[in-house]
Amino acid sequence: MSPLLASLSTTVCQPVSLGDWRNLLAVIWDFLSLSLFSLGGGNTLLSEYHHLAVDQYCWLSSRQFADIYALAEAAPGPSSMIVGLLGMGAAVKEGPLWGVLSGLAAEAAILLPSTLVMVAAALSWNRLRNSPWRVAFERGLGPITLGILFAVGLKILRISDHDTPAYAVSLVVCVLMLRTKISPLWFMAVAGLMGGLGLVNR
Amino acid sequence: MTEGVHPTRLQLFLGMQQVALPSFGGGLSAWSERIVVEDRQWMSKEEFITGLTVARLFPGPNQINMAVYIGSRFHGLAGAIAALCGILLLPFSLLLLLGLGYFYLHETLAVDRVLAGVITASAGMALSMGFKIAGAYNRDPVALLLAACSFIAMSVFHVRLVPLVLIAGPLAMAWYWPRTEQR
Repeated sequence: MSPLLASLSTTVCQPVSLGDWRNLLAVIWDFLSLSLFSLGGGNTLLSEYHHLAVDQYCWLSSRQFADIYALAEAAPGPSSMIVGLLGMGAAVKEGPLWGVLSGLAAEAAILLPSTLVMVAAALSWNRLRNSPWRVAFERGLGPITLGILFAVGLKILRISDHDTPAYAVSLVVCVLMLRTKISPLWFMAVAGLMGGLGLVNR
Repeated sequence: MTEGVHPTRLQLFLGMQQVALPSFGGGLSAWSERIVVEDRQWMSKEEFITGLTVARLFPGPNQINMAVYIGSRFHGLAGAIAALCGILLLPFSLLLLLGLGYFYLHETLAVDRVLAGVITASAGMALSMGFKIAGAYNRDPVALLLAACSFIAMSVFHVRLVPLVLIAGPLAMAWYWPRTEQR
């Protein structure tokens, strides 16, 4: 292979350093501008997060993204806090302190616009309630959210599972999530055990 | 607000920490209703349910939007920020600690193998998200068509989220614009 080709194949995606303040601002802007597209409780943003963190900025490998999604789901609190972990992944190479600061900045950026809109909505709800805009927004965006959630689910499935036993576990968990009220923590605990014993692999 | 208790900003901050504590894996609204409506009597049950409706309708994570709703009803933006910090402080600190642990340890073989299992479960949970709300739309062919188009645009043609919502959103809103006469 020629040196040029070799260098191309290794530099397809260079991790962006957040030490440069222009990169940092670009990243904060990306999260700020995604905030208002967080429909359906925030899960619609997951494939966009994957695009940013894995394809665009190369903070994480696809495999690490799957790990982080699982961490955010397993930990107490809203799973949308995954943004904090993405921010951390972007800067943790520069040390734990940078990782934490970057995580805080990313989480603040994703929450700020939606929080401001929510405050305005809470204070003016009595006027909004009967507005045709509210009715059309609620009924129109619902089906789009549904389609996006299926696409996001499929994407997470694709980046997480790579062999037949893994797909089988995911399908069983999906059915149990829909048919029973068992806490998702049990599914993660059992699946984690299966991973530890080598029954499911990457 | 009727005869309920009027919390201070500090009380909002502390009360939301209590709401956040047992929130493993979602399913938070029943617990937060107990704290906010029954124990602390900040709101009536009706007000709380209105809040949930608003929180689900507007962009942002539902639990966090609900905290913002409660905070802003009492103290506007300052109350919203107090409630937001309250609901995030403990879980977010814990998550960042877990994250540090992950980034420093994930190359350890044992951690990697356990995570390889855990992600199969979380992938199943992600797959269930769509099915969970699909039932609400199965009598509306236009909604199903919109959902199918959004799904295909994203999964097959790799259309990004923002252009998809900006194009499909206004079309869907026009179709569902409330009509006074027939239909």
